[in-house]
Amino acid sequence: MCDFKKIRIMKNTEEIIEQLKKIVKPYVKDQDAFDHLTETTDFINDLKINSANLVDIILDVEEIFDIVIDNESMERMLDVKSTLLIIETKLAEK
Amino acid sequence: MIGNDIVDLAVAEVESNWRRKGYLDKIFTMKEQLLISKACNPEIMVWMLWSRKEACYKIFNRQTHIRIFNPIQFECSEMVLEHTWFSGTVQFKEIVYHTKTEIKKEAVYTVAVENESDFLKIRELGKSELVLKKDSIPYVYDSELDVLKPASVSHHGRFTRIISI
Repeated sequence: MCDFKKIRIMKNTEEIIEQLKKIVKPYVKDQDAFDHLTETTDFINDLKINSANLVDIILDVEEIFDIVIDNESMERMLDVKSTLLIIETKLAEK
Repeated sequence: MIGNDIVDLAVAEVESNWRRKGYLDKIFTMKEQLLISKACNPEIMVWMLWSRKEACYKIFNRQTHIRIFNPIQFECSEMVLEHTWFSGTVQFKEIVYHTKTEIKKEAVYTVAVENESDFLKIRELGKSELVLKKDSIPYVYDSELDVLKPASVSHHGRFTRIISI
């Protein structure tokens, strides 16, 4: 049987990136890097986000995607690519 | 090895809501949260602990070239007031770092070292100093000795501090 609920919950990568962009936007210090955001964009080196605000991004990701980011995953959340991977993995576990 | 970190308290107040639910749990251990809750000024304690973690992380990053966001694993001891600064230790796994933290001109500033004797060797540099990065790790060029010396740069809001050893 097809699991419709699961299909609805699973988001595609583009949708996740769009939501992630909305989350990081308020903390971005380099607007140009944000306008050209790709999977390799680094939150600190490229977007110049203050490290204290990385905590806000992690909390926002938890709230918006309704997932829990454990310390081990948090360690790697320094760029778009790893953050996407973590969100996708946590969503799949739901 | 050295690391430094500065927090502009006015900027921190506007940009970081540490009272937000879940915020402290993500970056501070239970022991550290206790230090915050019993502090006369919890806000300043939050940024003192944070700058100590950041300064020590810079040493870790310089030595290992590993980039990681794990502030909770750098656990701060209680601080002792010595002259004009607060000294303490920060433990990351088996490594113990030493920190000196001062509060002045609306800023919290920490200098961290691995060997305590290195505190005496630290030189404060002006903002105009040319900082070079090799593998994202900062150095300054010593023209007299013709060598690159390890440096640490911290910039937040209105403040910039550069040190070298």
